[in-house]
Amino acid sequence: MRVELQNVRYVYAPGTPFEVEALQGVSLAVEPDEVLGIVGGTGSGKSTLAQHLNLLLEPTSGRVIVDGVDARTLKGSELRRRVGLVFQFPEAALFAPTVEEDVAFAPRRLGLDEEEVQRRVRETLELLGARHLAGRSPFALSGGEKRRVAIAGVLAMAPEVLVLDEPTAGLDPATREDLLGVVRALREGGTPVVLVSHDLDEVAEVADRVCVLEEGKVRAVGTPEEVFYAHPEASLAPTTVRVVAPLREGHPEVGRPVRFEETLSALNGLLEGRG
Amino acid sequence: MKNRNDEGARRGGPPAVSSDNLTFSYPGSERAALANVTFELRVGEYAGVVGPNGGGKSTLLRLINGLLRADSGNVRVADLNPATEPYVVRRRVGMLFQNPENGLVAPFVEDDVAFGLENLGVEREEMRERVREAIRAVGLEGYERREPHTLSGGEKQRVALAGLLALDPEVLLLDEPTSMLDAAGRSEVLERLEELRGARTVVHVTHHVDELLDADRVLVLNAGKLVADVSPERLVSDPDLLRENRLALPTTLRLAAALGLGPAKLRTPEDLASAIVQKIGSEARAR
Repeated sequence: MRVELQNVRYVYAPGTPFEVEALQGVSLAVEPDEVLGIVGGTGSGKSTLAQHLNLLLEPTSGRVIVDGVDARTLKGSELRRRVGLVFQFPEAALFAPTVEEDVAFAPRRLGLDEEEVQRRVRETLELLGARHLAGRSPFALSGGEKRRVAIAGVLAMAPEVLVLDEPTAGLDPATREDLLGVVRALREGGTPVVLVSHDLDEVAEVADRVCVLEEGKVRAVGTPEEVFYAHPEASLAPTTVRVVAPLREGHPEVGRPVRFEETLSALNGLLEGRG
Repeated sequence: MKNRNDEGARRGGPPAVSSDNLTFSYPGSERAALANVTFELRVGEYAGVVGPNGGGKSTLLRLINGLLRADSGNVRVADLNPATEPYVVRRRVGMLFQNPENGLVAPFVEDDVAFGLENLGVEREEMRERVREAIRAVGLEGYERREPHTLSGGEKQRVALAGLLALDPEVLLLDEPTSMLDAAGRSEVLERLEELRGARTVVHVTHHVDELLDADRVLVLNAGKLVADVSPERLVSDPDLLRENRLALPTTLRLAAALGLGPAKLRTPEDLASAIVQKIGSEARAR
């Protein structure tokens, strides 16, 4: 699936003293087989953008196009099934007495037969390493466990594109790593993922393309290599790029690695004197 | 966190925070969220708390400020029991939460910082003075009449911190105070916390080991048990301890270690870049 924002503007509280233009003409496409990282400081418009992908927020002007069709012409429920959106702190929306029932809620509402519902519950909990929690109350889980259950609830709808807004905030490093593994697995399986994150190191590890938002505008979009090496300053580049960028002047042969493993091998090469 | 200031760590007298066989289970959960946890923090100590999700970190903070009540064993703040005297304890203990969006209530920064004092019925002049002082302590002079919703995440979290400082707590509980912040906001908040060091006892829960490199000690909680109480140096140099507790070295240290450059002094990516330049230089001379 391909989702495209065309010149989207969004104004919060229009006509009041609190009016804020959170998106100021954003054009951006989520391609069918990619992980698109969306980064930028607080207040740059990342979450507002994420909530346009399934028209949870409707653009003040501009359009959202889903596989060539204006999203406004699609039925809302259909659109929200196809574009799965996981909010910040999604665990706040858990409500059912057990994890299993919570994850089953949305697929059941889609009118799937019970066998299919159960299959999806099993598979998504398995994918998120939360199968053992199935019979527990969501309210007796830790923060990280709740997060995984909440994400499973969205994945159980089998969305055609998944949008994750700060999914790893508050997760321990190993759980974060597992979740990034899920992101990669979805992409391999043909489901594009939009990853909104303030953690540039994690975006560097999984994104195929990166979009930098600044005050509601797209400041840069491209491969992680292009985007991060164009702005290697501390607030706009991951750790790897901040280590390599100052070396490039004297040692251009180090290249422009972004991911951890490729950075390690480039730096090892440099230290061993082979370029 | 450079100026390690241990002057505030007064010896003698009751410890700032302590627990003895502290045990707590959430209703409906088959295993204890905390089981037989015993520790003692001296006045002025800076203690980190790390460990996997579900390890018991947030539960510990909630027991310390009396939001939860122990099933058995006890926790003490100074010589008070937070479960039976929560209001007294909460005047001595300030808690900073993960998401700065949730804590700010007032239309202007200075009102927000004053909010807790107003509830305590502090005199107007004294209140003004304490608000001014707290805003200065977090480096937000000139922001008094700003509306909190126009601030960045790091600024909002500093407003929340100022609100705590205005109440002059002896103990600060920090529950992942940087996890919603970008790199710039994170370092702003960490710098301010570092400046408070020594004057107050701090319990800092985080998943970012790099925030604790200058802590006096780090408690590791896993599945409700206190599995380690170590110096940060010890923690970062023990790969098994890190792995068993679902922790990871920060990227800079991980890269440095993988390149065979001693991790000790390399805190920032810029430090590591200089170390690499030096090493290339010395190897070139050797050839």
